[in-house]
Amino acid sequence: MICKTRLIAGLSLLVGAVAACSSPSEPTTTAETTETAPRVLTLYSSRHYDSDKELYAMFEAETDARLEVREAGASQLLETMRAEGDQSPADIILAADAGSLWRFKDAGLTQALPSETLESLIPANYRAADGHWYGVARRMRGIAYDPTRWSAEDLATWPTLAMEDKAGEICVRSSSNIYNLSLMGELIHRLGAEAAQAWATAVVGNMARNPQGGDTDQIRAIAAGECSIAITNHYYWVRLSTSNSDADQQVAASTAFLFPEFSEGSGSHVNITGAAVTATADDLALAEEFLTYLLSETGQTYLTRETKELPLIDGAPLPEGVDALPALSPSDTALDIYGENQAEAQRLFDLAGWN
Amino acid sequence: MPRFTPSLSAIPPSLIIGLVGLPVCIALYAGLVGGDGATWDHILQNRLMPYTLTTLLTLFIAAVIMLGLAVPAAWIVTQYEFPGRNVFSWALILPLAMPGYVMAYAWADLMGVSGPLQSQIRDVTGLSARDYWFPNLFSTPGLAFVLASTLFPYVYITARAAFSMQTRATLEAARSLGASPLDLFWRVALPVALPAILGGLCLALMEAAADYGAADFLGVQTLGVGIVRSWTSFGEPNTAARLALMLVCIAFVFLIVARLYQGKSGVQQTSTRWLTPERSALSPSMAWLATLLCATILLLCFVAPIARLMWLAVETEARTTDLLPLLRSTLLLGLFGTALALCAALVFTLAAKRSRALRMGTRLIAAAGYAAPGAVLGLGALFFLRETGQPLAGIVAVALLVWVYVSRFTSAGVEPMQATLDRLPKNLDLAAQSLGSRGLRQFWQVDLPLILPGALAAGLILFVEILKELPATLMLRPFGWDTLAVKAHAYATDERLAQATLPSLMIVLAGLFPVLLLSWRLNQGERK
Repeated sequence: MICKTRLIAGLSLLVGAVAACSSPSEPTTTAETTETAPRVLTLYSSRHYDSDKELYAMFEAETDARLEVREAGASQLLETMRAEGDQSPADIILAADAGSLWRFKDAGLTQALPSETLESLIPANYRAADGHWYGVARRMRGIAYDPTRWSAEDLATWPTLAMEDKAGEICVRSSSNIYNLSLMGELIHRLGAEAAQAWATAVVGNMARNPQGGDTDQIRAIAAGECSIAITNHYYWVRLSTSNSDADQQVAASTAFLFPEFSEGSGSHVNITGAAVTATADDLALAEEFLTYLLSETGQTYLTRETKELPLIDGAPLPEGVDALPALSPSDTALDIYGENQAEAQRLFDLAGWN
Repeated sequence: MPRFTPSLSAIPPSLIIGLVGLPVCIALYAGLVGGDGATWDHILQNRLMPYTLTTLLTLFIAAVIMLGLAVPAAWIVTQYEFPGRNVFSWALILPLAMPGYVMAYAWADLMGVSGPLQSQIRDVTGLSARDYWFPNLFSTPGLAFVLASTLFPYVYITARAAFSMQTRATLEAARSLGASPLDLFWRVALPVALPAILGGLCLALMEAAADYGAADFLGVQTLGVGIVRSWTSFGEPNTAARLALMLVCIAFVFLIVARLYQGKSGVQQTSTRWLTPERSALSPSMAWLATLLCATILLLCFVAPIARLMWLAVETEARTTDLLPLLRSTLLLGLFGTALALCAALVFTLAAKRSRALRMGTRLIAAAGYAAPGAVLGLGALFFLRETGQPLAGIVAVALLVWVYVSRFTSAGVEPMQATLDRLPKNLDLAAQSLGSRGLRQFWQVDLPLILPGALAAGLILFVEILKELPATLMLRPFGWDTLAVKAHAYATDERLAQATLPSLMIVLAGLFPVLLLSWRLNQGERK
C-alpha cells in the first residue's frame, strides 16, 4: 500500500512537472504577427558570444521587435530548418563562416533580400551577388610565428609552409575545423585539387605534433617552444594580447602575426560572419532593419568588441588590440567558393593524413 | 482461471520498446537508405578502418584502466579497514559527476605544453619543450585515460556491490581451506563478482564509445569524431548515421559477449546470509598503502581536474552571464528525462523477467541508443520532426529532447535494476506465483518492492547522465532553454576555457548531490 501511495505521489509530481513545462512561459513563435503583438524576429545563430546577446537586447530596446534566438552549430541549425520545413520559425541565419552560409543557400533555405541600403554599406566581395547573404564582420586566418626564428618574408605565402625548412615547426588544429576547411577551400580554388593536396601533405610532414586543441593552444605552443609557426585566426592572437592574464600577454608578446598571401600580390584569405534571410521569413522589412542595425556603428562595435573580429564598415571603431595586426590586403576570391569546396577540402585533408 | 492476458499485457512493454528504439532506428534507417553518397565511398576506402581501430584501441585501454582502478578499489573498500575507508567508499563515485569533455579540458590544460606542469619543468631545467619527453595527453591512451577517469565509477559501483553481496559462508569456507588473501580475491571473490563487473564495464564502454567532445578536443580520430565530421565537414547527416551503425555493432558485440559470459557463470545466491563479510584489519603499512591507492585514484580522477578548473576561473577573474536560469532548465530537463527513462527502464526490466527473448531484445534496443552518439539520436528526432511538419519550439522541442534522453539513457537505468533482480533468489518469484500472485498484483506486491533499491540507483545515475548530456540538448532544446552543458560548450568552442569552467563546475555540483545520495544509498544497502 505504501508503495502504491508513493508511486501515485511520484506520478502526480511528474504530471505536475510536465504541465509546468508546457505552461506558456516559453512562447511559441508561429503565427504571432498580429497587429497588436510585438513583431518577432527569430534568429538561428552559430555564434555564441555574450556580447551578441547584449546587442540583441539593444536592438529590442530601440525597436518594437522581440528577438528569439536559437544557438547551435551551423550543421545542426541547417538540419533543424530542413526538418521544420515550411513551419520553421527562423527568419535570420547568423553564421561565422561564409561556407556555412553557402550551405544554407545551397539547401534552398535562404531567400534574396534586395536592399540598396545593405548593398551600399557592404563592399561587393563581402556579400552574395544575388543577395542571399550579407557579411557583417571579418575574420582572417593567418600565422602567428616566433620572430626570433623567422622573418615575415619567410612566411609571406601559404606555400612557404610546405617548404622543407619548416620541418617540425608547424602547429595547427584538426582539419575538420571550419576555418581550416575554408582556407583549404580557397587553396583548392587557386591551386587546383592536386596541388592543394600536395600542399596539405607537405604541411602534415612539417608539423611539430599531431593536430589538437584550438587555435589559442597553437599560439601558446610557440611560446612554450614546441613549434615556431601556428596557423590561427587573428582574433585569438589579439585576445591573448589583450587578456587580463599576464601570462597570456607574454605569449602574445613573444610572437608576431601576419596574413600570408597565396602568391605574391594575390591578397590574403578572408572569412566573414554573415547573415542570411530564410526562405520562410515573412517580415522582410524587419529582417532588413536588423541587418542594417548590425552594420550600424553600435552593431559593429558590439559584434567585434569582445570577439576581436574586424568591422566590415570603413570608419567603424576598431576593437582594442587589432591595431597591432599588420595591414591587410584581402583576396578577391568569391566567398561562396569555401562552401562549394568544403567537402572536397575535408577529403583532401583526409588523404593528406591531416587529422 | 484462464490466462487471457499474455497478448494484452505484452502491449505496454512493446510500446515502450518501440518508443525507446525509434530515434536510433530512424537514424540508422536513414543512414542505410540515404547514406551512400560519394562521401561514404571516401570514408569506406580511407577512414573507416582507422576510425574503427582507434575506437577499439581507445576502448581496450580504457577498459584496462577502469578495471585496474575500480576492481582493486572496490575490493579493499569492502574487505578491509584502513584510514579514510568510510570517505573513500563513497567519494570514489564522485568522478561520475564530471562530463567527459570537461575532464578533457581540465587535463589538457594541466598536461598541455603550456600548462602548469610542463611550464614548471621548463622553468626549473631551462629546457625547451622539444628537449624532454612528457606523456602526451593528445593521443589515444590520453583519451582512454580521460574517459576511464570519469566512467570507472560504473565498474566500481557494480564491483563494490558484487563483492559486498557475496555470502560470508563462501569466503569463510575458502579461508578455512587455507586460501591466502590473494587467492581469496583471484580464485573465489573475483570469479563470482565477474558477471556483475562485466555488466558495469559494458555500460562504461558504451558510454565511452559514444563520446565526441573529449575525442575531438584531444584530436583523436574515433568513430564518434568521424560521425560528426561526416555531418559537419561533408554535410551528409545520412552518412553520419550510417557510420553510427558501426558503433552500435560494437556495442552489440560487447553486450552479447558479456551476456554469454554471464550466462555461463551466473551464480545464484540462495543463502539468506547476505551479510557483508566482516572487514579484516590490515597491518599499518598495508593500511596506509590502501589509503594511498584510494587517495591517488581520487586525486587523479576528481580533485586535480576540479582544482585546476577552479584555479583557472579565479586566476582570470572569469565572468559569465547569469547561470541560474541555465541551472533551472538543466534540472527541469534532467527531471523530466529521468522520470520517463526510469519508467522505460522499469518496464524493460520487468519485461525481461518474462522471457529470455524479451530480455535480450530490450537490452539490445537500449544498448543501441546508449552506444549511439547523442548527435545521431538528435538527427533521428529531426527526421521524425520532418514527418510531423512542426517547428522545433515549445512543448514539441521539450518532448523530442526528453524522448531522445529516454532513448539514449534507458540502458543506464536498466543495468542497475537488472543487477538488483539478478541478485535475488529465483525462488522468490516462484513462491509469489504459487501463492496466486501474478499480473498487476505481482507487480505491486512483489516486483516493485524488490526492485526499488535498484530503481533508486538507476534514477540517480540517469539524472547525472542527463545533466551532462550535450549534443542532443544543443540540437533540440527549445528557445530559452539553454542548459549548463550548452553554455560550457559555447565558451569552450570559443576557446574561453576559464569562462567555461563556471558552468562546468555547476554541472559537477548539480551532479554531486545525486551522486552523494547514490553513495549513501549503496552504503545503506551494504549494511542491511
